[in-house]
Amino acid sequence: MSLLSVRGLDKRFGGVHAVRDLSFDVHPQTIKALIGPNGAGKSTVFNLLTGFERPDAGSATFEGIDLTGRPPHETVRMGLARTFQESRLFDTMTVEENVLVGMHLRLSASFGLAAIRSPRVRREEREAREEAAHVMRLVGIDRYRDTRASDLPHGVRRLVELARALATRPRLLMLDEPAAGLDGRETADLGEVLLRVRDAGTAILVVEHDMGLVMGISDEVVVVDQGRKIAEGPPLIIQKDPAVLEAYLGEVSDGA
Amino acid sequence: MTSVQVVAAVAVLAVPFLGADRYLLKVLTFVGVNTLIVLGLALLFGYAGQVSLGHAAFFGIGAYTSAYLSSALGLPWLVAVAAAVGLTACAGWAVAVPGLRLKGHYLAMATLGFNEIMSVAFVEARRFTGGNDGLGGVPFPSIGPYELDTPASLYLLVWGVALVALVGAANIVKSRPGRAMRALHCTEPGASACGIDVSSVKVRAFTLSAALAGLAGSLYAHTVGFISPTTFGLDLSILLVAAVVLGGRESLAGPVVAMAALTLLQYLGALVPGLSRQAAEAVQDWVPDIVGLTVVGVLIARSRGFRLRGRRGVPERGGQG
Repeated sequence: MSLLSVRGLDKRFGGVHAVRDLSFDVHPQTIKALIGPNGAGKSTVFNLLTGFERPDAGSATFEGIDLTGRPPHETVRMGLARTFQESRLFDTMTVEENVLVGMHLRLSASFGLAAIRSPRVRREEREAREEAAHVMRLVGIDRYRDTRASDLPHGVRRLVELARALATRPRLLMLDEPAAGLDGRETADLGEVLLRVRDAGTAILVVEHDMGLVMGISDEVVVVDQGRKIAEGPPLIIQKDPAVLEAYLGEVSDGA
Repeated sequence: MTSVQVVAAVAVLAVPFLGADRYLLKVLTFVGVNTLIVLGLALLFGYAGQVSLGHAAFFGIGAYTSAYLSSALGLPWLVAVAAAVGLTACAGWAVAVPGLRLKGHYLAMATLGFNEIMSVAFVEARRFTGGNDGLGGVPFPSIGPYELDTPASLYLLVWGVALVALVGAANIVKSRPGRAMRALHCTEPGASACGIDVSSVKVRAFTLSAALAGLAGSLYAHTVGFISPTTFGLDLSILLVAAVVLGGRESLAGPVVAMAALTLLQYLGALVPGLSRQAAEAVQDWVPDIVGLTVVGVLIARSRGFRLRGRRGVPERGGQG
């Protein structure tokens, strides 16, 4: 049974048909890559699935429950977590605090209980910091724990976003161009982290332009062009698909 | 709490025992009342990033509710305080639910409008407020036979409450709800992607903030015994926002100190011995200008990357260092 099942998803912005009748599945404990040229509608798909946009038609079900039309924070509660193409870190907060915000739904302190700092709140905070330390180690950013997010180098910022998303303990992790701006070494490290995350039981849906990373870690690839799915399958087959080559390289009929 | 904070708290509470005169104690009691209001606004504006130009109105709602219930209806002081806080919280919630759909300047305008509406209401609802003549004869705070009727005891009551609120606010900002407020201030999409119900957190922050202003209003009414509409006008709301801007984002101590300074500025003539009457009046006349220019100056200085202090108003020690 699939974890995420997208059926006939459709979205227009004025005259732009961003997503057209898109269907695909993500299975548990797999990494699925969503690739396509710039402007193919990949980020829109993310926004539709996580409640930042409403689809005009179609459905998306997660563990059998309809996702569409729910506000973003509810999709997090259901077990989806996402990162953004453009960093949305909490710049005034430290790396540790950013990760702690990711644990928001699993903590319980209300304004009132936090104000009196009840024993339960103290214990919860202590345990949360221990877990945050674990997540930061997993992603490899533990030495930046007390650094303000605004002072971080770009590559680390991407990893903090990943850590923050992981801190929600998602069953499906959705990453929007996680390797953008990373150098070769950092990208390789990221790939290893993602494989570890998958092996620990979390499915991943990743939008990415770095084909080395995509082909290296994905179990399956979906290719979209102008909002439409043009191919789907294992990386080795996708690399040879004529429709994919055409979308990426232009005309291939003239002897490519 | 750090040792510095403990020393500061003890120093504040020791003032009445150091032979301060009655007038000075009264002025410092007003500083305590304003500390309570600005704490709420610091949470709402400095942490959650939601501006309110209507906090003087919430202050007024608390003051009039408490004054009316205790003087006209003769209800016990504690009941009047609880009702004042409850009603102001409801008013805050009622403003927040539609108002927080707005952002930035629009939210500022909506809350400013609310303050103006309430200013008119305080004058026109004569049956409850006494109109422009004000509402007098508000009894001193009392529990059973014990009445707080000396400037020293009133000072200790107000500052005791203010210090408790300060500790509570400091606890809030360093745990889950505080992180949620700071997060949505930085980026709302980022916050909702972490599972934060952004509008719910905003409404809660606004309601809590209004409730603190209502509590301050209640304490104020029972401290001075007489209230009138001019106290709860837009001037005070602007002064509060100025204090939070001056005190800095994500700080409690900053706005509290700034508000204390802005409050004392208005009583400069009486507080500085030997200051001539003309000089004192000149300062009083120019308070809004001094405040405005200071805010502009601080904003320009900050935009050039000039920081007066470190990042935090409330240093975190203890716990997981």
